[in-house]
Order: sequence, then structure tokens, then C-alpha cells
Amino acid sequence: MKLKVNGKEEVLVKTSVSVKEILELFKVEMPDMVSVQLNGEFVKRENFQTTSLKDGDEIDFLYFMGGGSN
Amino acid sequence: MKELKFVTKVLHTKFLKQDPHGSLHMPIYDNVAFEQKQAEDLELAFQGRKPAHMYSRISNPTVEDFEQRVRAVTDAIGVIALSSGMAAISNVIVAICQTGDNIVTSKHLFGNTYSLFENTLKSWGLEVRYADLTDVKEVEKLIDDKTKAIFLETITNPQLEVADIKALSAIAKKNHILIIADTTLTPPYLFKSKDFGVDVEVLSSTKYISGGATSVGGLIIDNGTFDWARNSKLRVDAGKYGPLTFLNKLRREVFRNLGACMSSHNAFLQSIGLETLHLRVDVSCANAQALAEFLEKSGKIKQVNYPGLKSSKYYQIAKKQFKDKLGALLTFDLESKEQCFKFMNKLEIIRRATNLQDNRTLILHPASTIFCEYDASLKKEMGVRETMIRLAVGIEDLEDLILDIKQSLEALK
Repeated sequence: MKLKVNGKEEVLVKTSVSVKEILELFKVEMPDMVSVQLNGEFVKRENFQTTSLKDGDEIDFLYFMGGGSN
Repeated sequence: MKELKFVTKVLHTKFLKQDPHGSLHMPIYDNVAFEQKQAEDLELAFQGRKPAHMYSRISNPTVEDFEQRVRAVTDAIGVIALSSGMAAISNVIVAICQTGDNIVTSKHLFGNTYSLFENTLKSWGLEVRYADLTDVKEVEKLIDDKTKAIFLETITNPQLEVADIKALSAIAKKNHILIIADTTLTPPYLFKSKDFGVDVEVLSSTKYISGGATSVGGLIIDNGTFDWARNSKLRVDAGKYGPLTFLNKLRREVFRNLGACMSSHNAFLQSIGLETLHLRVDVSCANAQALAEFLEKSGKIKQVNYPGLKSSKYYQIAKKQFKDKLGALLTFDLESKEQCFKFMNKLEIIRRATNLQDNRTLILHPASTIFCEYDASLKKEMGVRETMIRLAVGIEDLEDLILDIKQSLEALK
């Protein structure tokens, strides 16, 4: 599966992966503070586990430094 | 573990990154720029894709730690610390309004806030509609499709008016507009704005939080309760950033560009002040209640205003909202401006200065100071009388304060 992660092309062997798994897979820093956009749309934290990525998806990890997190 | 209470949370909120030396206080990062190992890391940091500080006007570890502690005790989605309370208000209004929009507020406001609305923001195309915020129906009549927010002070300064915040919040929610509360006189610990339906809280942390007027600062507290898709200016961003839309707008545009950041020194002082906030609030509120009762019973005062007095028309609503801590600001009226000045000049302990919640008790004649730029008719509309004195009560021994006031009242004879 091809993905664009934080603007960089990545290839995964897995065919199905959730947002939560992606955070672990890419060892995302400060996972409690990160916000996630999937194809430009905001993903609620409570949906990280149930939201699956598909081939060609773009996922971004965003931080609001200094006191902001969902 | 059970949900921690306010003070424990303040004292034990963990640093986002462990201090290499195990410091119990977040050290003062008194620097400007932060290095990244690779050019790629710098790019990611600028894009907001990496949790890294870059430049202290935008974010700084000491300031961030202070923000995180406030966030922990307010249960907010995000907090931004700024250079002053006025910076907090101006950042919020600039972030949510554009030319042609309006906000609904009261003329019973802190003088500089009124000046910001009337003299500064009006010329940029903001319409400011004034209502009696204690009259919910009057407020609702002023709301239209260009209204972006209701702005209120939880206890107005210096009128000491208290509006029904839950009732105003219900109207704001019905009309899908923001409710912004200036909680300077009722800071976190005394009042949890989220529980009363406030979407965004602003306050001057110079006052209670700084620990006795150690430094100037302000806070924007986003309770995470507003649907930003309902704000025409932020609608598009809301799809991308969801509940973090407002914080994104501030962090990546308004706050960053206006540059009214809190210094790391001030964040350090205010963070320490936050640790003893509860002690100072408890004592100053108790002192204010006792002084208000003393002044009322003295028979030498024309009128005493304090929401904790049963004679106050805001007593019931103030009790409901602030329980047994009704702020540390009170006003009273003497016969004339001359009598006010004479009284103030005779005081030996109480200081003549403009501030609130210094550890010292401070006294001020609002009409000739904070409101001096306004004419008599506007002062009347603003509820500022020439005969009114404002007392910002501190944490001294009550008996000493009473003796000082007593001897000064005697001198009026």
C-alpha cells in the first residue's frame, strides 16, 4: 500500500492499517499531543482506531506547540 | 487513579519532555531560536508536522509548560499565554471577526477593553453592540447573522455587575455564536468557565495568577466546546482542524503575526504564582467580604458595592456562579470626588495604585484614572461615578486593613 505520510511517499507491506497503527509504525513523537489529518480532513482522536487508510491516502501529523491537543 | 483536584494538578502536571537534570520547575528557556539536527526537521517543524520549538515568539518550552498547567486545571482543549490580558482579548476578536461582523457586549466593562472595542477595533470595521447583559432578552434582540460573539466580564470592573452566564450561553448556543468570558476577577480555581457554557475564556494573568503582581500576562483558554464550522471566517479551516480550528488560527496566524507573546521569564513567574493561586484567592476573597460588610455597617459610606453583600442585586446569581468566593474587588461611594481623594490620601497601609490582586490592597478613583478619557455622560452610561472608589483587596491581616480604613474615614469629619 502506498501512502503519503507527512508529505513523504511511503510503501507499506500491510494492506490495511488504522490511524492508531500508523502512529505506532512511524513512531510519531508525543502521540498524546498530535492531531491527524487524513486527505486534508481532521480525524477525531476517538476514531484513530477505527479509521482505516487505503492505498493512495495522505496522512499528516500536526502539532500545536504550546498547549493544544484534541 | 481518581481525577486529581485543582492544586494537585497544578503541582504535578508532567513536563511534555523530561528535564535532563530532573528540575522540579520548568527552567527558564531564555533563548530565541531552537536548532534542529537536519534541514528536513526544520521544514517539518515549520509545517507543524514535528513537535519542536523554533522561535520563542511562536512557542517556548517555559511558556508551553505554563500553558499546559493551565490547560490541566481548566480541562480546556488548548491554552495560549500572551503578553497581557488586553493582548488576549484583541487576539480572540481578530481571530473570529472580519469587517462587517459584530459582537454583543456591555458598556459596563474594564475601561481599556471598552477603548479597544470602541476606538481601536471599530475603525477596522467591527461593529460593537451594547446591551445590558443582565437582560437576556435585550441581548438576544441584538444578535443577527453578522454576530460572532457575546463578550462578557464574569464580574464587571468596576461596576461589579454579574450576568447569568448559563443563560447567556444558552442564547449563544441557540444562535451558534461564541460566548467569550473575561474571567480576570474570577480566575480558574474560583470559577470553571467550561461548566457554565463559556466557549473561550480570556483573562489577565497579571492579577491573581502572577502571584502578587510579579509580571504582566494574559491567557486565552479554548474550552473546545464551539463548533467552528458555525463561524463564517473559520468555516473552511474547521473541516481541516476540527475542534483545534481556533487554536490553529491563533498559533499559525493571528497570535504569531501580532507577536504579543509571553516572555519565558514571565511564564516562569506566573507558573510559580499558579501554584499558590488558591491560597491568595481564599484570603483576598475572605478579606473583601469582611471589608464590604464592615464598610456597609460603618454608616459612613453612601453606598457599598460587592456581589457578596446581601444588599447587592447580584448576590443570588453571584453565589450560584462563584459559591463562597465572590472576588476581591469592591467599590464604595463617598459624598464627592474631593472626599474620595481626601480618604485615599489619608490611608497608611492601603496603596494608591492601579492593579487588582496584587498581594497588597490597592485603592483607585476610577473616574479620574482608568476612565479619565471619557466624558461625563459616557461615564454615567458606563456606571462610573465621580463619588466611587475602587478597592482591590489583598492578603494583608484583615484587622490592619480595617484600622487603616477606620482612621481614614475619621479624617473625613
